[in-house]
Amino acid sequence: MSSKSRQSRKEREAFFSRPWSGPNRHYDIFKEGGIALLVVTVLVVALSALFSSPDDPALTFKGWAQNDGNTLYATAVAELAGTSDSAGYGPPYNSNSDGVSLGPLFLQKWGGVTHPIDAANDFVITPLSSQVEPNDVSAAIKQWNAATPDQQAKWAGDYDTALNDQAGAAGDPTKVPAGDYGPVPDLAKGVVAMASTGAYDNAMTGQGQFFQTDQTKQLLLMGDGAYLDDAATADNLQGNTWGMMNEAGSWPGQQWLAFASVWYQLPAFNAPDDATGITRTLTDNADVIIAAILVLLLVTFLFTPYIPVLRDLPRWIPLHRLVWKDYYTKHGRQTT
Amino acid sequence: MELLGISLDQPASYWQIWDWISVSIPNLIMIIIMLALFVLALVLPFPKGHEES
Repeated sequence: MSSKSRQSRKEREAFFSRPWSGPNRHYDIFKEGGIALLVVTVLVVALSALFSSPDDPALTFKGWAQNDGNTLYATAVAELAGTSDSAGYGPPYNSNSDGVSLGPLFLQKWGGVTHPIDAANDFVITPLSSQVEPNDVSAAIKQWNAATPDQQAKWAGDYDTALNDQAGAAGDPTKVPAGDYGPVPDLAKGVVAMASTGAYDNAMTGQGQFFQTDQTKQLLLMGDGAYLDDAATADNLQGNTWGMMNEAGSWPGQQWLAFASVWYQLPAFNAPDDATGITRTLTDNADVIIAAILVLLLVTFLFTPYIPVLRDLPRWIPLHRLVWKDYYTKHGRQTT
Repeated sequence: MELLGISLDQPASYWQIWDWISVSIPNLIMIIIMLALFVLALVLPFPKGHEES
C-alpha cells in the first residue's frame, strides 16, 4: 500500500469518525414496537376471522390407493425395478447416480450416502412383510426374497416396461400382456391393497421409533408417483407457478421468498422432458444452480459498499432524501 | 369466509403477464399493498419527537 493511499484512507477514517454534530431526536423504540405489535395482532385476528386459514388434510397412502390406485401400483413396480426417481436419485440415498452438480462440483456425491434407502425393500418388501398378508402376496414375498438380484431386476424391469408402454397397457395393470414377471404383479397389488386399508401409512410412520419424526421415506415414495405431483399442480404449488412461495388455495403466499422463487419461472430451468443440451443441464441441476445464484446475490448485497456502480445507486436515485426529507429540507445536501 | 362470501379454499387465479411469467391474484394484491405502504411511509409525515440540538 502506497503512502498516498494510506494517507487518504486515514483522512477518510478521520472524516467518518467525527462526532455527530447534527440535531438529535428523542425516540422510544418500545413505544413504537408496542404500537406495531398491537396493530399486527388486530390485523391477524381480524383477517383470520374474515378469511380463515389453509387447512388442507395431509395426503396419505390410503387416499392415494383409494383415489388413484393405478399410479400407486405403477410406483410400487418402479420401486422394484429401480426406475423411480428416488431409486436413481443418488446421494444421500443411494449410489445409483452422481446427483445434482454445479458445473464440475458434484456436491451431492461429496456428501456421500448418509441416509441409505433401498427402494425395493424399503417401499415394498419391508412394509408388506410387516403384516400378515394374503397367501398370494406372502408367496410373492418369499419368491422375491429367494431370487437373485439379476432375476429380480429382470422380472421387475420387464413388467415396468410393459406396464408403462403407452401403445399398450399405458399404466393399466389389467392390460399388461402376459409374460414372465415373477412375483412383481402380486407385490404391487399387495402394496395397493395394504395402502387402501391405511395399514401402509402405519407401517411407514412407525419405523421402530417411539417418536417418529423422520418422514423421508414417505415423502420420497409420494414424490415418485403422480398423486403428490397432481395435488401440487392443482394447488399451484409447482415451482414454475411460484410454488416455493405459494400458499394452498387462494391465500397469499410468502412474498419474501419471491427473490428465490422467481428463478424457477425462467424457461431455462423448465426444460421439457425431451430437451437436451444446456437447458437439460440447467433444469436437471436447477436447485443447486439457483442456490448458488442466491448465495452470489447475498454476497453481492453484503459487499455493496465496495462495489462500484452498486454503491453509487443511492446518489443517482436519492430515495433516502425522501425518507429523511425533514433533514434534507433543513440542511440541504451537506453531510453535517 | 361466510362474512365475506368468498371461499379462499379454491386454487387462485393467475394473471399471465407474459409468455413464462405469471402472478397469482392474491400475491398481486399483497404486492400492491406492500408498494402502497411503502409510498405512504415516504409521503406521510414522520411523527415529531422532542428535538434536541
